[in-house]
Formats: sequence, structure tokens, C-alpha cells
Amino acid sequence: MEKPRGIAETHSYRTLLIVAAFILILPLWARAIPGDVLHMDIVNIMVLAGIYACAVMGLNLLIGYAGQISLGHSAFFGIGAYTTAILCTRYSWFPTWLGMILGAALSGLIGWLVGKPVLRLKGHYLAIATLGLGEIAFILFSQVKGLTGGTVGILNIPPLSIFGLSFDTDLKFFYLVWAIVLVIMLLTFNLVRSRVGRGLRALHSSEVTADAMGINTGSYKVKVFVWSAVLAGLGGALFAHFQLYINPESFVLTLSILFVTMVVIGGMGNLWGGIVGVVVLAFLPSIIQAFPEWIPGLPESLSNFNNYSLVLYGLLLMIFIIFMPKGIAYGLSRGTVFGKSTAGRLLDRIKAYRSTEK
Amino acid sequence: MLDTYDKSRKKMLFGSAALLTLVLVVILAVKGSTGLQWIASGLTVGSIYALVAMGFSVIYSSTRVINFAQGEFSMLGGMLMYTFASSAGLPVPLAFIISVVIVSLLGAGFERLAVRRLRDSSVITVIIVTIGFSIFLRAVAKWIWGSEPVKIAAFSGEKPVRFLGAAVVPQSFWVFGFTALAVLLAFLFFNRTLIGKGMRAVAANPDAASLVGVSTSTSSLIAWTVAAALGAAAGIIIAPIRFAAYNVGTMLGLKGFAAAILGGLGSAPGAVVGGLTLGVLETITAGVFPSGYKDALAFLILILVLLAWPQGLLGRRQDVMT
Repeated sequence: MEKPRGIAETHSYRTLLIVAAFILILPLWARAIPGDVLHMDIVNIMVLAGIYACAVMGLNLLIGYAGQISLGHSAFFGIGAYTTAILCTRYSWFPTWLGMILGAALSGLIGWLVGKPVLRLKGHYLAIATLGLGEIAFILFSQVKGLTGGTVGILNIPPLSIFGLSFDTDLKFFYLVWAIVLVIMLLTFNLVRSRVGRGLRALHSSEVTADAMGINTGSYKVKVFVWSAVLAGLGGALFAHFQLYINPESFVLTLSILFVTMVVIGGMGNLWGGIVGVVVLAFLPSIIQAFPEWIPGLPESLSNFNNYSLVLYGLLLMIFIIFMPKGIAYGLSRGTVFGKSTAGRLLDRIKAYRSTEK
Repeated sequence: MLDTYDKSRKKMLFGSAALLTLVLVVILAVKGSTGLQWIASGLTVGSIYALVAMGFSVIYSSTRVINFAQGEFSMLGGMLMYTFASSAGLPVPLAFIISVVIVSLLGAGFERLAVRRLRDSSVITVIIVTIGFSIFLRAVAKWIWGSEPVKIAAFSGEKPVRFLGAAVVPQSFWVFGFTALAVLLAFLFFNRTLIGKGMRAVAANPDAASLVGVSTSTSSLIAWTVAAALGAAAGIIIAPIRFAAYNVGTMLGLKGFAAAILGGLGSAPGAVVGGLTLGVLETITAGVFPSGYKDALAFLILILVLLAWPQGLLGRRQDVMT
């Protein structure tokens, strides 16, 4: 296994500032564009992307740094969402921020309880075991009707409010979610640069060697798993307070797979890459949906995109990976497609085009 | 597909088969004809899981990849069978062969276009490509055939056969027969033909196999073709019992994957034992416990089995390593 590297290693703090600035001004231009130009609500999609990013950052550590796969993180996302939803709808006085923290904490606790035995398994065996856990969680969400409301789920979840400040619009939620994402990113930077991070990377390259060097691989794996469960739980809790209703359909295997896909598409072990993967996959369905609207005068049969939007989605997913197997961030920054960096090739094209114009 | 003659595995195989038989006898003794009914339907779906699991194992042995589109091969098999046998009115054997061939070509094409290009990438990257492929195939199927489930006529009538108080649909016998035939053919292919032996060599040690002139690339191509054919055949023969629809592949793939892991990834007898065990287990839990919890219990038992025997019932110990 190659050492995880990428943008995150070299310019992380600078990138963090650039991303923060980008986030700050995003609603300004996104809201300035009239709705009938883009046919999508950028801020709304970015909120969802930020929520997913919480879960994906933890999973990226687990997959990219510790080398352990999980196909069951929808369970932790769901535990976070259901915990705060149940507490806040049953007890109207219950502070929503506390519900969110408890959701993340409970998710971490359950992550520790199941992670301890299950992480003894490796590779595909770990994959199927975590997948099984995700399915069990989904079935419990839909069957324990007294607590979770069954397949109907929980409605009328109060919006998030922190010390009197209510996050009840997309815009407010957008800033909150991305502030959380950037703080987690900062924590993650410090984590991967610490003794723990180096230990994890050693674990990824070779578990046996890491063990021999005195790294307690078992405990490291469980710790990262718990941390990723906490982050997924946090994401789930944010999701509950953003959507204001939840049902089991939101926490299916597809979600776990989506998380892993975001990690892989962005670039495993590349922290900013993970965010790129999240944003690309969060926007992809809307872009595919809006695509026919962008082309005026498209025949009726082609503009009814609902029928084959998933065909395109699957196709694009395959194309991304086949041409950028190390992730989009890597592929665009320094990876090579057909022997030359994609960005470099694009620049060459533009230059060549300009010179012919003259 | 490895070490079919390995002594300890043979012991494990007989041990597991004996255990399965014991469970079956106990159920029969306790539940009588209801138990027999459960076992009959459990073995029927179990055979299908076994075929799907063999598909997983064949690909895993040659490429170390878990093919998440394996269930979609079965789905496509069923849907194509519907088009050729029910809509176009072709005779069943002809429609069967055409459907299997089309799906096999699809598997081979995917191997050449996607899997082969990624041979230097990490395994999880290839797994994500197979997920993309499964989304693609499911969407294409929904586009072509719509979202309504379709019914395919049973190969030899629908009249159940009465047997000691249990009613068994005739299609079940087709399922048993076909599974036995497929297992036999796979055994002959991997143990008696030069190509099959080469593929076992690649599974054991790709570098060493390359050195003695076995092409890993060809192995991978054949593995994908065979796996697609096995999946398609499974989807076709189960279609008359369960409906065929664009979305049946996901659950079938999941169960097949679970069966392959249960039996030990990469082991053909393991796939059969794992599939049958899972099928019977599932039917029994569905009969005894509230049906909503059926899959939860199946997965719980699967996880417990994995924790007790991390290498699967028949897998090799080193398979557990990544």
C-alpha cells in the first residue's frame, strides 16, 4: 500500500484558509444567480454535502489511514439522528444541541461496543460484518416501532438552536455545518500529524510490522473506528435537525456505500480529497437532473431525465474511477490521465486553442 | 476454488455437512411436515445463494475483488429470460442459453473495459467500480423493463409435488438439479482442464503462475465470464419461484456474498455449504421469529459465525489477511 499523501500533507493550513474563505462567500454568489439558470439550490446541496462530510472525514481516516473498511456507517449516522430526534420530540424542553452531542456520544459508545469484537476481522470479512451491522441497525430502526416510529419515522423534529440562536434557514445551517466541518478538519490534521497518525499509517502499510514496532494495532483500530462513529453520529444528528423528519429509508446500505464511494472518489487518505468526493457526489444527482434544462430546445423524450439519470450516475461513477483511480483531487492536481496531468493537459489545450485563434 | 484435495478442508467440509444434516434432522423431528416444508424452501433459495456465492468466489480467487454487481447478473438473467421466453416465445432451453450468453459477454466486457484498466489500483477502488456498474445495470434494467415485477412460467408446470406432507413446487427440483450440475461442471473445469488448473495456480500465487506462463489477464477474463454465467443462470432458474424485477439483484448479491464469506471466500464447496446453510437458516428464522426480524437474525448469526471462525467454515486461514 502506498503512503497516503496529497494536498493535505503540504499546504493543509493554507488550504484550510482558502476553503474557509470560499465557504464564506459561496452563498453570496450562489444566491445571486437566478433560480432558473442553474435549476438547483446550491446552498441546500452544500448543507447536505457538509453533513455527509462529517461522516466521510471519519471514514477517510478509517479507510485511508488505518486501512480498515466499513460498510455499516449508515448505522452510526442513523443512531446519531434517532437519538437526538427521539429526545427532542419526546421532551420539548430538551436542548437540541445537547441531543446532538448525546447522539454523537451514543454512536461512539455503540461503535466501541461493536468495534472491539468486529475489528478483529480483516478485509472482506470486516466488510461483510460491518455491512451486517448496518442492516441490523436498519431493521431495528424500522421494527422497534415504540421508539422509532417504524417505517413512518419521526416527524416535527425541532430545528437546531444553540443558546437562543435558532438555525432554521438553509443559510444559517450552511454556515454552521461548514464551520463544524472545518473544525473537524483542523482536529484531523493535528491527529494525523501526531503519534497516533503515524501509528495509523504504519498500521496501514503493514499490520504485522506495526505490531512488531510496539504499536498496539488493535487498540488503534478501535480508537479510529470509535472516532469515525462519533463523526458519523454527529452528521446524522445534524441531518435530523436539518430535514426535521427522519425515517429508516434515510439510513440504508446505499448510504454506507455512498460514504465509502465519496472516500474513494475523493482519494483514500487524502483529507481534502474526501471533501472533494463529498461535494462532487452531492452535486452529481442534481447536475444530472438539471442537465436537460440547461440545453434549450431539447426534444421531450430526452428532457424527461428521471428515467435514466441513474444510468448516467452509475456510468459517471465508473468513468471517474477508471480515469482517476487515486481520486479526483489527486487526478486533477498531480495525477496523470493518459500520461499527462489533467490540469496540465487542459492548460495546454487552452494555450493551443488561443494560439490558433490568433 | 483452491486446494480441493486439502485434507483438513475435506474434514471441515464433512464436518459442516454433518452439522447441517444434524440441524435438518432436529428440525424434522421437532416440527414434522412444517419442518420439511421449511427445509425444502430453505434448500431451494440456498441453492441459488450457492450459485451466486460461487460467482463471488471465482472472481475473488482470480482477482481478489468482491464483485458488488454479482447480484445484478442474476437480475439481468431473469429479465432477459422474461423477454426471450415469455415475451418473444422462444423455447425455454434456447431462451436460457441466449440469456446466459448475453450476461456472460457483459461480464467479460466489464472485465476488459474497467477491471483490467485498474489492475494496479487498490482492491477497494475496483470494488467501488463494481458498485458503479451495479447502479448502472439496475438503472438500465429499470429503463428497459420498468419497475413492475414480471412473472416467468415455471419450466415444468406449477402443480406442487406432495412429499410426506410438504408441498414442493416442481421448479425447486430444477433448482436442485441445476445447482448440482453447475457445481459438477465447475469442479471439472477447475480440476480437469488446463485453463481451470491455470486459474487455480493464479489464485494460489499470481506471480509464480505468471512465471510458468499462465496469463493472469486471461484468468481474470474467464473468471468474470464464468461468474456472470453462474449469476445469470441462478437468476433464471429462481425467477419462476420469486418474481423477476429490476431490483432483485441487490438482496440476492448480498445474500450470495454472505454465503461466500460464511463458507470461506474462494472455496467452491464452501460456497455450496455456505449457501445452503444460509438458505435454511433464513427460512427457519422466518418461520420461528417475527418476519420483520428475519434478515437481522440472519446477519447476527453470520457475524457470530465470523467471529468464531474468522476464516469462514471452509476458508483457508491466510485468506483472512487483507
